[in-house]
Amino acid sequence: MQTVIIGNGIAGTLAAKTLRELDPDAGIEIFAAEPHLYYPRPNLIEFIAGNLPFDRLFAFPEAWYGERRIEVHTGVPVERIEPDGRRVIAAGGRRAPYDALLLADGAGAAIPPIKGADKAGVFTLRTLNDALAILDRLRDRPKAAVIGGGLLGLEIARALRCRGAEVEIVEVFGHLLPRQLDPAGGAILRAELEKLGLRVRTGVGVEEILGDAEVRGLRFKDGSRSEADLVILALGVRPNIGLAREAGLKTDRGVVVDEFLQTSRPGIFAAGDGAQRGDTVLGIIPASFDQARVVAANILGQKRIYPGTVPSNTLNVAGIDLTSVGIINPPGAGFEEIRLARPEAGLYKKIVLRDGVLVGAIWMGTKAGISAVARAVARHVSVEGRTKDLLEDTFDFSLL
Amino acid sequence: MEKYECTACGFIYDPALGDPENGIAPGTSFEALPDDWVCPQCGVGKEFFQKVDD
Repeated sequence: MQTVIIGNGIAGTLAAKTLRELDPDAGIEIFAAEPHLYYPRPNLIEFIAGNLPFDRLFAFPEAWYGERRIEVHTGVPVERIEPDGRRVIAAGGRRAPYDALLLADGAGAAIPPIKGADKAGVFTLRTLNDALAILDRLRDRPKAAVIGGGLLGLEIARALRCRGAEVEIVEVFGHLLPRQLDPAGGAILRAELEKLGLRVRTGVGVEEILGDAEVRGLRFKDGSRSEADLVILALGVRPNIGLAREAGLKTDRGVVVDEFLQTSRPGIFAAGDGAQRGDTVLGIIPASFDQARVVAANILGQKRIYPGTVPSNTLNVAGIDLTSVGIINPPGAGFEEIRLARPEAGLYKKIVLRDGVLVGAIWMGTKAGISAVARAVARHVSVEGRTKDLLEDTFDFSLL
Repeated sequence: MEKYECTACGFIYDPALGDPENGIAPGTSFEALPDDWVCPQCGVGKEFFQKVDD
Protein backbone atom coordinates (compact mmCIF):
# COMPACT_ATOMS: atom_id res chain seq x y z
CA MET A 1 0.00 0.00 0.00
CA GLN A 2 1.40 3.37 -1.05
CA THR A 3 0.60 6.53 0.88
CA VAL A 4 1.49 9.95 -0.47
CA ILE A 5 1.57 12.80 2.03
CA ILE A 6 1.43 16.44 0.95
CA GLY A 7 3.16 18.60 3.55
CA ASN A 8 5.90 17.95 6.09
CA GLY A 9 4.73 19.86 9.14
CA ILE A 10 3.64 18.16 12.35
CA ALA A 11 0.58 16.48 10.81
CA GLY A 12 2.34 15.11 7.74
CA THR A 13 5.51 14.02 9.49
CA LEU A 14 3.91 12.45 12.54
CA ALA A 15 1.35 10.70 10.33
CA ALA A 16 4.28 9.20 8.41
CA LYS A 17 5.96 8.17 11.66
CA THR A 18 2.75 6.54 12.91
CA LEU A 19 2.13 4.76 9.59
CA ARG A 20 5.57 3.19 9.83
CA GLU A 21 4.99 2.19 13.46
CA LEU A 22 1.70 0.53 12.51
CA ASP A 23 2.82 -1.06 9.24
CA PRO A 24 6.43 -2.07 8.53
CA ASP A 25 5.65 -2.59 4.83
CA ALA A 26 3.71 0.58 3.92
CA GLY A 27 5.17 2.76 1.18
CA ILE A 28 5.39 6.33 2.50
CA GLU A 29 6.27 9.32 0.35
CA ILE A 30 6.15 12.97 1.50
CA PHE A 31 6.15 15.99 -0.79
CA ALA A 32 7.10 19.23 0.95
CA ALA A 33 6.91 22.64 -0.65
CA GLU A 34 9.43 23.97 1.88
CA PRO A 35 13.06 23.13 1.10
CA HIS A 36 13.65 21.94 4.67
CA LEU A 37 13.01 18.84 6.72
CA TYR A 38 10.29 19.06 9.37
CA TYR A 39 10.74 21.60 12.12
CA PRO A 40 8.24 22.58 14.85
CA ARG A 41 7.03 25.98 13.70
CA PRO A 42 7.25 27.71 17.12
CA ASN A 43 11.04 27.13 16.97
CA LEU A 44 11.15 29.97 14.45
CA ILE A 45 10.50 32.48 17.24
CA GLU A 46 13.52 31.38 19.28
CA PHE A 47 15.55 31.19 16.06
CA ILE A 48 14.71 34.81 15.25
CA ALA A 49 15.46 35.79 18.85
CA GLY A 50 18.92 34.25 18.48
CA ASN A 51 18.38 31.61 21.13
CA LEU A 52 18.23 28.53 18.90
CA PRO A 53 20.90 27.74 16.30
CA PHE A 54 19.84 26.68 12.80
CA ASP A 55 20.90 23.06 13.13
CA ARG A 56 18.73 22.61 16.24
CA LEU A 57 15.52 23.70 14.52
CA PHE A 58 14.66 20.31 13.07
CA ALA A 59 12.84 17.59 14.98
CA PHE A 60 14.48 14.63 13.24
CA PRO A 61 17.83 14.31 11.43
CA GLU A 62 17.94 13.10 7.82
CA ALA A 63 19.00 9.62 8.90
CA TRP A 64 15.80 9.25 10.92
CA TYR A 65 13.74 9.28 7.71
CA GLY A 66 16.01 6.79 5.95
CA GLU A 67 15.87 4.38 8.91
CA ARG A 68 12.09 4.39 8.62
CA ARG A 69 12.01 4.22 4.81
CA ILE A 70 10.03 7.47 4.69
CA GLU A 71 10.84 9.12 1.38
CA VAL A 72 10.82 12.93 1.68
CA HIS A 73 11.05 15.29 -1.28
CA THR A 74 11.85 18.71 0.17
CA GLY A 75 11.33 21.74 -2.02
CA VAL A 76 9.00 19.78 -4.31
CA PRO A 77 5.47 21.20 -4.11
CA VAL A 78 2.53 19.23 -5.45
CA GLU A 79 0.86 21.07 -8.32
CA ARG A 80 -2.30 19.08 -8.59
CA ILE A 81 -4.14 16.01 -7.44
CA GLU A 82 -5.78 13.66 -9.95
CA PRO A 83 -8.28 11.72 -7.82
CA ASP A 84 -9.57 9.55 -10.68
CA GLY A 85 -6.08 8.47 -11.62
CA ARG A 86 -5.10 8.19 -7.93
CA ARG A 87 -1.95 10.19 -8.35
CA VAL A 88 -0.45 13.58 -7.67
CA ILE A 89 1.54 15.69 -10.09
CA ALA A 90 4.46 17.43 -8.42
CA ALA A 91 6.77 20.19 -9.58
CA GLY A 92 8.85 19.19 -12.55
CA GLY A 93 6.10 16.96 -13.89
CA ARG A 94 6.86 14.19 -11.45
CA ARG A 95 3.94 11.77 -11.02
CA ALA A 96 3.36 9.94 -7.75
CA PRO A 97 0.67 7.28 -7.63
CA TYR A 98 -1.10 6.59 -4.33
CA ASP A 99 -3.51 4.17 -2.72
CA ALA A 100 -4.14 6.71 0.01
CA LEU A 101 -3.43 10.45 -0.02
CA LEU A 102 -3.03 12.71 3.00
CA LEU A 103 -3.43 16.46 2.58
CA ALA A 104 -1.32 18.04 5.29
CA ASP A 105 -0.16 21.22 3.64
CA GLY A 106 -1.42 23.39 6.42
CA ALA A 107 -2.12 27.08 6.25
CA GLY A 108 -0.39 30.20 5.01
CA ALA A 109 -0.13 33.64 6.55
CA ALA A 110 -3.06 35.92 5.71
CA ILE A 111 -2.07 39.03 3.78
CA PRO A 112 -4.81 41.65 3.96
CA PRO A 113 -5.20 44.14 1.11
CA ILE A 114 -3.18 46.97 2.72
CA LYS A 115 -1.71 49.33 0.13
CA GLY A 116 2.05 48.86 -0.01
CA ALA A 117 2.09 45.36 1.47
CA ASP A 118 4.07 44.19 -1.54
CA LYS A 119 7.09 46.43 -0.86
CA ALA A 120 10.49 44.95 -0.09
CA GLY A 121 10.94 44.68 3.65
CA VAL A 122 7.36 43.59 4.36
CA PHE A 123 7.07 40.03 5.59
CA THR A 124 4.82 37.47 7.12
CA LEU A 125 6.26 34.79 9.38
CA ARG A 126 5.18 31.27 8.70
CA THR A 127 8.18 29.41 7.31
CA LEU A 128 11.88 29.07 7.96
CA ASN A 129 12.56 30.90 4.71
CA ASP A 130 10.46 33.80 6.04
CA ALA A 131 12.56 33.80 9.22
CA LEU A 132 15.82 33.81 7.24
CA ALA A 133 14.58 36.67 5.07
CA ILE A 134 13.52 38.66 8.14
CA LEU A 135 16.91 38.18 9.81
CA ASP A 136 18.64 39.20 6.62
CA ARG A 137 16.58 42.38 6.43
CA LEU A 138 17.09 43.09 10.12
CA ARG A 139 20.86 43.15 9.83
CA ASP A 140 21.31 46.85 9.01
CA ARG A 141 17.76 47.99 9.46
CA PRO A 142 16.82 47.91 13.10
CA LYS A 143 13.50 49.81 12.94
CA ALA A 144 10.68 47.28 12.91
CA ALA A 145 6.91 47.45 13.04
CA VAL A 146 4.71 44.44 13.76
CA ILE A 147 1.15 44.82 12.53
CA GLY A 148 -1.11 42.65 14.66
CA GLY A 149 -1.21 42.52 18.44
CA GLY A 150 -2.32 38.90 18.76
CA LEU A 151 -0.23 36.00 20.02
CA LEU A 152 2.07 35.68 17.05
CA GLY A 153 2.61 39.42 16.69
CA LEU A 154 3.68 39.75 20.31
CA GLU A 155 6.04 36.77 20.12
CA ILE A 156 7.65 38.10 16.92
CA ALA A 157 8.00 41.55 18.47
CA ARG A 158 9.77 40.12 21.52
CA ALA A 159 12.06 38.02 19.34
CA LEU A 160 13.04 41.02 17.19
CA ARG A 161 13.74 43.00 20.34
CA CYS A 162 16.07 40.23 21.54
CA ARG A 163 18.06 40.91 18.37
CA GLY A 164 18.36 44.58 19.28
CA ALA A 165 15.68 45.99 16.99
CA GLU A 166 13.47 48.94 17.89
CA VAL A 167 10.00 47.47 17.63
CA GLU A 168 6.55 48.99 17.54
CA ILE A 169 3.47 46.77 17.78
CA VAL A 170 0.37 48.08 16.03
CA GLU A 171 -3.03 46.66 16.94
CA VAL A 172 -6.26 48.01 15.43
CA PHE A 173 -8.36 46.87 18.39
CA GLY A 174 -8.39 49.00 21.55
CA HIS A 175 -6.05 46.63 23.41
CA LEU A 176 -3.60 43.78 22.85
CA LEU A 177 -4.70 40.15 22.64
CA PRO A 178 -8.31 41.08 21.96
CA ARG A 179 -9.40 37.43 22.01
CA GLN A 180 -7.85 36.60 25.34
CA LEU A 181 -7.90 39.86 27.30
CA ASP A 182 -10.17 42.70 28.34
CA PRO A 183 -9.11 46.38 28.22
CA ALA A 184 -7.74 46.41 31.79
CA GLY A 185 -5.68 43.24 31.26
CA GLY A 186 -4.54 44.55 27.91
CA ALA A 187 -3.26 47.73 29.55
CA ILE A 188 -1.22 45.75 32.09
CA LEU A 189 0.20 43.54 29.35
CA ARG A 190 1.12 46.62 27.38
CA ALA A 191 3.01 48.00 30.37
CA GLU A 192 4.90 44.71 30.75
CA LEU A 193 5.89 44.79 27.08
CA GLU A 194 6.94 48.41 27.36
CA LYS A 195 9.23 47.37 30.23
CA LEU A 196 10.91 45.07 27.68
CA GLY A 197 11.51 48.08 25.46
CA LEU A 198 8.67 47.43 23.02
CA ARG A 199 6.44 50.26 21.85
CA VAL A 200 2.73 49.69 21.47
CA ARG A 201 0.11 51.53 19.45
CA THR A 202 -3.50 50.39 19.83
CA GLY A 203 -6.87 51.48 18.56
CA VAL A 204 -5.68 52.57 15.13
CA GLY A 205 -5.51 50.75 11.81
CA VAL A 206 -2.87 50.93 9.12
CA GLU A 207 -3.97 52.86 6.03
CA GLU A 208 -0.86 52.40 3.93
CA ILE A 209 2.64 50.96 4.02
CA LEU A 210 4.88 53.76 2.80
CA GLY A 211 8.07 53.82 0.76
CA ASP A 212 9.05 53.32 -2.84
CA ALA A 213 10.33 49.89 -3.75
CA GLU A 214 11.39 49.44 -0.12
CA VAL A 215 9.30 50.07 2.97
CA ARG A 216 10.01 53.31 4.84
CA GLY A 217 7.14 53.50 7.28
CA LEU A 218 3.44 53.35 7.98
CA ARG A 219 0.56 55.76 7.63
CA PHE A 220 -2.32 55.19 10.01
CA LYS A 221 -6.01 55.81 9.51
CA ASP A 222 -5.88 58.80 11.84
CA GLY A 223 -3.32 60.45 9.57
CA SER A 224 -0.31 59.90 11.84
CA ARG A 225 2.85 58.17 10.58
CA SER A 226 5.74 56.16 11.86
CA GLU A 227 9.08 55.04 10.43
CA ALA A 228 10.03 51.44 9.83
CA ASP A 229 12.33 49.57 7.47
CA LEU A 230 11.04 46.16 8.41
CA VAL A 231 7.33 45.40 8.68
CA ILE A 232 5.84 42.11 9.81
CA LEU A 233 2.19 41.33 9.10
CA ALA A 234 0.90 39.08 11.88
CA LEU A 235 -2.76 39.02 10.96
CA GLY A 236 -3.81 35.40 11.04
CA VAL A 237 -3.58 32.37 8.78
CA ARG A 238 -5.59 30.92 5.92
CA PRO A 239 -5.83 27.15 5.36
CA ASN A 240 -4.29 26.03 2.06
CA ILE A 241 -7.29 24.65 0.19
CA GLY A 242 -6.27 25.28 -3.43
CA LEU A 243 -5.18 21.72 -4.24
CA ALA A 244 -8.31 20.27 -2.64
CA ARG A 245 -10.65 22.72 -4.37
CA GLU A 246 -9.11 22.13 -7.78
CA ALA A 247 -9.43 18.38 -7.28
CA GLY A 248 -13.13 18.76 -6.57
CA LEU A 249 -12.98 17.97 -2.86
CA LYS A 250 -15.38 19.65 -0.47
CA THR A 251 -13.83 22.76 1.05
CA ASP A 252 -15.15 25.50 3.29
CA ARG A 253 -12.71 27.49 5.39
CA GLY A 254 -10.52 24.39 5.31
CA VAL A 255 -10.62 20.97 3.67
CA VAL A 256 -13.76 19.37 5.05
CA VAL A 257 -13.30 15.98 6.70
CA ASP A 258 -15.53 13.51 8.52
CA GLU A 259 -14.95 11.92 11.92
CA PHE A 260 -12.32 9.63 10.35
CA LEU A 261 -10.51 12.65 8.87
CA GLN A 262 -11.46 11.50 5.39
CA THR A 263 -12.38 14.15 2.80
CA SER A 264 -15.37 14.01 0.48
CA ARG A 265 -13.36 11.63 -1.70
CA PRO A 266 -12.70 8.14 -0.28
CA GLY A 267 -9.00 7.43 0.04
CA ILE A 268 -8.10 11.10 0.42
CA PHE A 269 -7.61 12.32 3.98
CA ALA A 270 -6.68 15.64 5.56
CA ALA A 271 -5.07 16.58 8.86
CA GLY A 272 -3.44 19.60 10.44
CA ASP A 273 -3.90 23.35 10.02
CA GLY A 274 -5.77 22.90 6.74
CA ALA A 275 -8.34 20.36 7.90
CA GLN A 276 -11.84 21.38 8.93
CA ARG A 277 -13.87 19.10 11.18
CA GLY A 278 -17.39 20.40 11.68
CA ASP A 279 -17.21 24.18 11.67
CA THR A 280 -13.73 24.36 13.03
CA VAL A 281 -10.20 24.64 11.82
CA LEU A 282 -8.36 24.57 15.13
CA GLY A 283 -4.92 25.46 13.81
CA ILE A 284 -3.14 24.46 17.00
CA ILE A 285 -0.32 21.99 17.54
CA PRO A 286 -2.20 19.56 19.81
CA ALA A 287 -4.90 19.19 17.12
CA SER A 288 -2.33 18.42 14.40
CA PHE A 289 -0.66 15.96 16.74
CA ASP A 290 -3.89 14.15 17.65
CA GLN A 291 -5.08 14.14 14.04
CA ALA A 292 -1.78 12.78 12.71
CA ARG A 293 -2.08 9.64 14.78
CA VAL A 294 -5.76 9.07 14.07
CA VAL A 295 -5.41 9.65 10.34
CA ALA A 296 -2.54 7.17 10.06
CA ALA A 297 -4.72 4.49 11.64
CA ASN A 298 -7.55 5.33 9.24
CA ILE A 299 -5.30 5.24 6.21
CA LEU A 300 -4.59 1.66 7.19
CA GLY A 301 -8.32 0.94 7.44
CA GLN A 302 -8.61 0.89 11.24
CA LYS A 303 -11.62 3.24 11.48
CA ARG A 304 -10.59 5.36 14.44
CA ILE A 305 -12.82 8.30 15.27
CA TYR A 306 -11.16 11.67 15.82
CA PRO A 307 -12.90 12.99 18.95
CA GLY A 308 -11.74 16.58 18.53
CA THR A 309 -9.08 18.39 20.50
CA VAL A 310 -9.83 20.66 23.41
CA PRO A 311 -7.69 23.81 23.15
CA SER A 312 -5.72 24.76 26.20
CA ASN A 313 -6.85 27.86 28.02
CA THR A 314 -3.31 28.65 29.11
CA LEU A 315 -0.50 30.16 27.13
CA ASN A 316 2.71 32.02 27.66
CA VAL A 317 3.24 35.14 25.64
CA ALA A 318 6.50 37.09 25.77
CA GLY A 319 7.34 35.28 29.00
CA ILE A 320 4.00 36.13 30.63
CA ASP A 321 1.63 33.37 31.80
CA LEU A 322 -1.95 33.93 30.68
CA THR A 323 -5.09 31.85 31.20
CA SER A 324 -8.30 33.02 29.61
CA VAL A 325 -11.48 30.99 29.77
CA GLY A 326 -15.18 31.49 29.08
CA ILE A 327 -16.79 34.91 28.67
CA ILE A 328 -14.10 37.49 29.27
CA ASN A 329 -15.61 40.54 27.57
CA PRO A 330 -19.29 40.44 28.56
CA PRO A 331 -21.45 41.39 25.60
CA GLY A 332 -24.10 43.33 27.51
CA ALA A 333 -25.87 43.83 30.80
CA GLY A 334 -26.44 41.12 33.38
CA PHE A 335 -22.80 40.30 34.10
CA GLU A 336 -20.66 41.15 37.10
CA GLU A 337 -16.89 41.54 36.81
CA ILE A 338 -14.56 41.45 39.79
CA ARG A 339 -10.89 42.26 39.40
CA LEU A 340 -7.62 42.13 41.24
CA ALA A 341 -4.79 44.06 39.62
CA ARG A 342 -1.18 44.54 40.73
CA PRO A 343 0.28 46.30 37.69
CA GLU A 344 3.74 46.66 39.23
CA ALA A 345 3.92 42.87 39.40
CA GLY A 346 2.28 42.38 36.01
CA LEU A 347 -0.57 40.59 37.78
CA TYR A 348 -4.17 40.75 36.61
CA LYS A 349 -7.04 38.50 37.63
CA LYS A 350 -10.69 38.86 36.76
CA ILE A 351 -13.77 36.72 37.20
CA VAL A 352 -17.00 37.21 35.27
CA LEU A 353 -20.26 36.20 36.93
CA ARG A 354 -23.82 35.91 35.72
CA ASP A 355 -26.40 35.49 38.48
CA GLY A 356 -23.64 34.54 40.90
CA VAL A 357 -22.32 31.82 38.61
CA LEU A 358 -18.76 31.83 37.30
CA VAL A 359 -18.84 32.18 33.50
CA GLY A 360 -15.40 33.52 32.68
CA ALA A 361 -11.96 34.26 34.08
CA ILE A 362 -8.65 35.87 33.17
CA TRP A 363 -5.51 35.01 35.13
CA MET A 364 -2.42 36.88 33.96
CA GLY A 365 1.03 36.88 35.52
CA THR A 366 0.56 33.75 37.57
CA LYS A 367 -0.14 30.04 37.13
CA ALA A 368 -1.42 29.49 40.67
CA GLY A 369 -4.99 28.20 40.57
CA ILE A 370 -5.36 28.18 36.77
CA SER A 371 -6.54 24.56 36.44
CA ALA A 372 -9.00 24.97 39.28
CA VAL A 373 -10.49 28.22 37.99
CA ALA A 374 -10.76 26.83 34.44
CA ARG A 375 -12.60 23.79 35.79
CA ALA A 376 -14.86 26.02 37.90
CA VAL A 377 -15.80 28.08 34.82
CA ALA A 378 -16.42 24.94 32.75
CA ARG A 379 -18.74 23.64 35.47
CA HIS A 380 -20.49 27.02 35.92
CA VAL A 381 -19.89 26.91 39.63
CA SER A 382 -21.80 29.25 41.91
CA VAL A 383 -19.52 31.55 43.88
CA GLU A 384 -21.98 33.31 46.16
CA GLY A 385 -20.29 35.06 49.04
CA ARG A 386 -16.75 34.10 48.00
CA THR A 387 -16.13 36.56 45.23
CA LYS A 388 -13.38 38.59 46.88
CA ASP A 389 -11.39 35.64 48.24
CA LEU A 390 -11.50 33.83 44.92
CA LEU A 391 -9.00 36.22 43.43
CA GLU A 392 -6.43 35.69 46.17
CA ASP A 393 -3.43 33.45 45.39
CA THR A 394 -4.21 31.09 48.22
CA PHE A 395 -7.91 30.53 47.50
CA ASP A 396 -8.94 26.92 47.91
CA PHE A 397 -11.22 26.07 44.97
CA SER A 398 -12.45 22.91 46.59
CA LEU A 399 -14.55 25.19 48.80
CA LEU A 400 -16.85 26.00 45.87
CA MET B 1 2.83 9.38 37.94
CA GLU B 2 1.55 10.18 34.49
CA LYS B 3 3.39 9.89 31.19
CA TYR B 4 3.62 12.95 28.93
CA GLU B 5 4.09 13.04 25.17
CA CYS B 6 5.86 15.62 23.02
CA THR B 7 3.47 17.00 20.41
CA ALA B 8 6.35 18.05 18.19
CA CYS B 9 7.83 14.58 17.76
CA GLY B 10 5.90 11.96 19.72
CA PHE B 11 8.58 11.24 22.32
CA ILE B 12 7.05 9.86 25.50
CA TYR B 13 8.42 11.01 28.84
CA ASP B 14 8.00 8.17 31.30
CA PRO B 15 8.54 9.36 34.89
CA ALA B 16 9.51 5.83 35.94
CA LEU B 17 12.52 6.06 33.60
CA GLY B 18 13.34 9.75 34.01
CA ASP B 19 15.96 11.13 31.59
CA PRO B 20 19.26 10.10 33.20
CA GLU B 21 21.41 11.16 30.22
CA ASN B 22 20.25 14.70 30.93
CA GLY B 23 20.50 14.49 34.71
CA ILE B 24 16.88 13.58 35.46
CA ALA B 25 16.61 10.66 37.88
CA PRO B 26 14.05 7.87 37.41
CA GLY B 27 10.94 8.67 39.42
CA THR B 28 10.87 12.36 38.49
CA SER B 29 7.35 13.50 37.65
CA PHE B 30 6.80 15.69 34.59
CA GLU B 31 5.78 18.61 36.80
CA ALA B 32 9.07 18.31 38.69
CA LEU B 33 11.16 18.60 35.54
CA PRO B 34 13.06 21.91 35.45
CA ASP B 35 11.56 24.69 33.32
CA ASP B 36 14.50 24.54 30.94
CA TRP B 37 14.29 20.77 30.35
CA VAL B 38 13.86 19.94 26.66
CA CYS B 39 12.59 16.92 24.76
CA PRO B 40 15.55 14.53 24.42
CA GLN B 41 14.39 13.48 20.96
CA CYS B 42 13.70 16.80 19.23
CA GLY B 43 14.77 19.54 21.62
CA VAL B 44 11.55 21.51 22.14
CA GLY B 45 10.52 22.81 25.55
CA LYS B 46 8.05 21.49 28.14
CA GLU B 47 5.24 23.62 26.71
CA PHE B 48 4.93 21.17 23.79
CA PHE B 49 4.12 18.26 26.07
CA GLN B 50 0.66 16.95 26.94
CA LYS B 51 -0.51 14.20 29.26
CA VAL B 52 -0.82 10.82 27.55
CA ASP B 53 -4.53 9.95 27.26
CA ASP B 54 -4.50 6.21 26.73
